[in-house]
Amino acid sequence: MSSKTALYIIKRILLAIFTVWVVITITFFVMHSVPGGPFVGEKATTPAVQAAMEAKYGLDKPLSEQYFTYLGDIVTKFDFGPSLKQRGRMVIDIISDGMKTSMVLGVIAAAISTLFGVVLGAIAALRRNKLIDRIIMVITTAFVSMPSFIMGSLLLALFAIVLQVLPANGSTPAGLVLPIITLALYPMAYITRLTRSSMLDVLGQDYIRTAKAKGVSGTRIIFGHALKNSLIPVLTYLGPMLAYIVTGSLVVEQIFAVPGIGRAFVSSITNRDYPMIMGTTIILAALIVVMNLVTDILYKVVDPRITLE
Amino acid sequence: MKIKKIIALLLAAAFVLSFAACGGNSGGDTTKDSANKGSDSASASEINVCIASEPDTIDPALNSAVDGATLLAHLFSGLAKWEKQGDKLAIVADAAKELVEGVENEDGTVTYTYTLRDGLKWSDGKDVTAKDFEFAWQRAASTALAADYGYMFEVVDGYADIWETNDKDEYVNPDAKLNVKAVDEKTLEVTLANRVSYWNELLAFPSYFPVREDVVSNESWATDPSTYVCNGPYTLDSWKHNSLITLKKNPNYPDADKITMDTINFYLSDDENNMLSNFKNGDWLLIDGVPTNEISTLKTEYPDEFFNVGQIGTYYVCWNINENILPEGSKLEGAEAEAAKNEIRKAVALLLDRNYIVNDISQGGELPASSFVAMGLTDADGSEFYKNTGVSDKFDGYFDASAEAVETNFASAIETLKKYYDYDDATKKFTNFPSMTYLYNTNENHKAIGEYIQSALSGVGITLNLENQEWATFLNTRKKGDFSIARNGWLADYNDPISFLDMWTTASGNNDIQFGKGDNADVKAYSVDITDLGSDLKVENGTWAETYDKLITEIKACTDNDKRYKMMHKAEDLLMSTGCITPIYYYTDQYMLSKSVKGFFSNPLGYKYFMYCTIEK
Repeated sequence: MSSKTALYIIKRILLAIFTVWVVITITFFVMHSVPGGPFVGEKATTPAVQAAMEAKYGLDKPLSEQYFTYLGDIVTKFDFGPSLKQRGRMVIDIISDGMKTSMVLGVIAAAISTLFGVVLGAIAALRRNKLIDRIIMVITTAFVSMPSFIMGSLLLALFAIVLQVLPANGSTPAGLVLPIITLALYPMAYITRLTRSSMLDVLGQDYIRTAKAKGVSGTRIIFGHALKNSLIPVLTYLGPMLAYIVTGSLVVEQIFAVPGIGRAFVSSITNRDYPMIMGTTIILAALIVVMNLVTDILYKVVDPRITLE
Repeated sequence: MKIKKIIALLLAAAFVLSFAACGGNSGGDTTKDSANKGSDSASASEINVCIASEPDTIDPALNSAVDGATLLAHLFSGLAKWEKQGDKLAIVADAAKELVEGVENEDGTVTYTYTLRDGLKWSDGKDVTAKDFEFAWQRAASTALAADYGYMFEVVDGYADIWETNDKDEYVNPDAKLNVKAVDEKTLEVTLANRVSYWNELLAFPSYFPVREDVVSNESWATDPSTYVCNGPYTLDSWKHNSLITLKKNPNYPDADKITMDTINFYLSDDENNMLSNFKNGDWLLIDGVPTNEISTLKTEYPDEFFNVGQIGTYYVCWNINENILPEGSKLEGAEAEAAKNEIRKAVALLLDRNYIVNDISQGGELPASSFVAMGLTDADGSEFYKNTGVSDKFDGYFDASAEAVETNFASAIETLKKYYDYDDATKKFTNFPSMTYLYNTNENHKAIGEYIQSALSGVGITLNLENQEWATFLNTRKKGDFSIARNGWLADYNDPISFLDMWTTASGNNDIQFGKGDNADVKAYSVDITDLGSDLKVENGTWAETYDKLITEIKACTDNDKRYKMMHKAEDLLMSTGCITPIYYYTDQYMLSKSVKGFFSNPLGYKYFMYCTIEK
């Protein structure tokens, strides 16, 4: 690795930290400026009770002091504090519970969509304008344009209610099958199209023609040269895709009642559970920043022609 | 080139590994899950239900939610409990040998002495003692815990001292305690400030359940089965947060032989569409909540499985008392203006067709309301409180809410409003009614009702703008009184009308209408006279604080049950005379229950009981 690349990576890491800090700051102050509070419910408590609760969680202190205390706890102790709504539970525990489920969902969905996407894309490219190519393109167009809540509802109605082969509730491992499929379909269709166009591009290159002219076997051309090189754009899509699936699975988590991070995130906002809002925002922001960073670095590694500056 | 190869290899390895990992993961429990499928979803002694999403807490003292209370009713055993006897619900002794009568002391306080049953055990095997009750009650009512439902101990002697504050909101008596003590291991003595008819019901309320000092000293004791020690029919077997709570029958419970359900799986979800899917495919046998737009279909498709039961709550519209609704240039002032506004608000309430709202909008089998104290709350003699308002023998409540009366109500409303506003006979509309804004929290049902009110009022020339806010923002706005008219609703915590009436005192945190606050603080327009009930309270044209607040204080101190109820009727009369409350309907609770489940019941507070259930195949 050249020193230029190393410098670039360091620069990017610093930028990532800065980004997360900006997110923390904006979220913190916007969150506190929104009306309503964690201890305001339909049935009012007395001002004394309200004051006692606020004092207990340090919400009676000036906002700036709360901000620096919070930042300090995160940097020095990685402490996100207690949840204000789920009494007795720590934010980090709730997040890690949610992340475990969302990660399983996200990683499996990403793997399935990549595998099928690449295979289908390659087939479509190699059989360009043949029937199979047309079929694949029609299906992927449908999947790309269909929002996940429609896809999820359709799958739910078919497999859980009509056929009754899979549970409708995502709290058991078998219940994760439908949400995974729902999540995987869009990126799979996207990767299929990406692979197809990139592969067509590669297949038209001079070196492929040269290889053909030299009598290299078809399989070797496809697997040894064409496929490998056409996967570069796909690779760059993987990082953002994983982040998208993990953070964007909110709708799917809702439809299938999956206990993931998306549901925790939304309910924390309606509950004004300040530490939970901060915790989930930071983790999700960090995930996206890290994924983008990894992708950029990988990009450079797989394609030496790219210079990072 | 080399690097590329390594990367390709790594990627391939990563995929293989992730597949292996997920294969193992989802494969592991599938057998267990598929065994739970369909009509086998629960064997004779196991039931899958869904009553709500993750509970905020299952600490009996901290809980303030109905779903939490359902869980707690299965996990704990208080002095009393709810039970179904034949067709009726009753409060019976549970941890106490019997529910004794109180003995009145010279100072008017009432002392109850309870003896605990033999053989009461905590789930970790230790004995349940009277000391545990004493500790639990002192804790639940303490300022240190500051529990939402600490006020459930308001009736116990000493509570008022604990919570007495000075001008700076500081507690005056830091050492004050409830008048409750464990005389010995098995005897608990508690003294109430005065006799209340709902005392036994309170004993069955989660706040009154016992907890053990050494257990709750760990602040997160109630979040994990390993630290959760209880004494009820069930123990907390597992808790997959945001996903599933499993309760298992507690063999140490003295009445364990009567408990027919061995395992209860409480699935945690609040998505009503998802709940319905799970009910339809037979996985869950009870779901507490259905999508509003499915109600009419469900009623016809599942006539034996769709249930709609009364709840002690009222859905209503509240008016900000400080909002000026008189026409521009009105010369009315002071008490006269106040009386006019009261009349106007009551007239507007008569323009609405509540039968249309419940039958065509909310469709949940709710009943049109004509009073604030909800249907289901009982009077001193056990009859329905709302039927005894005494305004007229022809209808219940404060006006006739029946479908037949819609036209006459409308006509009389127009006549009343004509006294104050200009009416154009050609268009049949009022021309100078100031425009108002209706505030509601974002929700399809509230929106539809808001739109109906808007169209009903615009029919007579009253402009009503709609504004919706997200839940927490809405609560804040309404509490501060930043609205002209707002959607509101109230569900009582116990069967006593005071739970509906004491929220409208000046200082109450639930006083959204702003009675006695702002401009209304100095308005002398309210009258009360309860001298015929043996009290000195008689005020003519006084402020809200001099009348309503005083009346509520009198009610709370009254030891004569009959008189107390009569006073509560007077309080509701005064409240309704302002017209600030426009009742819409009495709440009902909708749930789906599979035909195969027998022995299920729910109480008026909405707690659901599964312990005596059996499942017929």
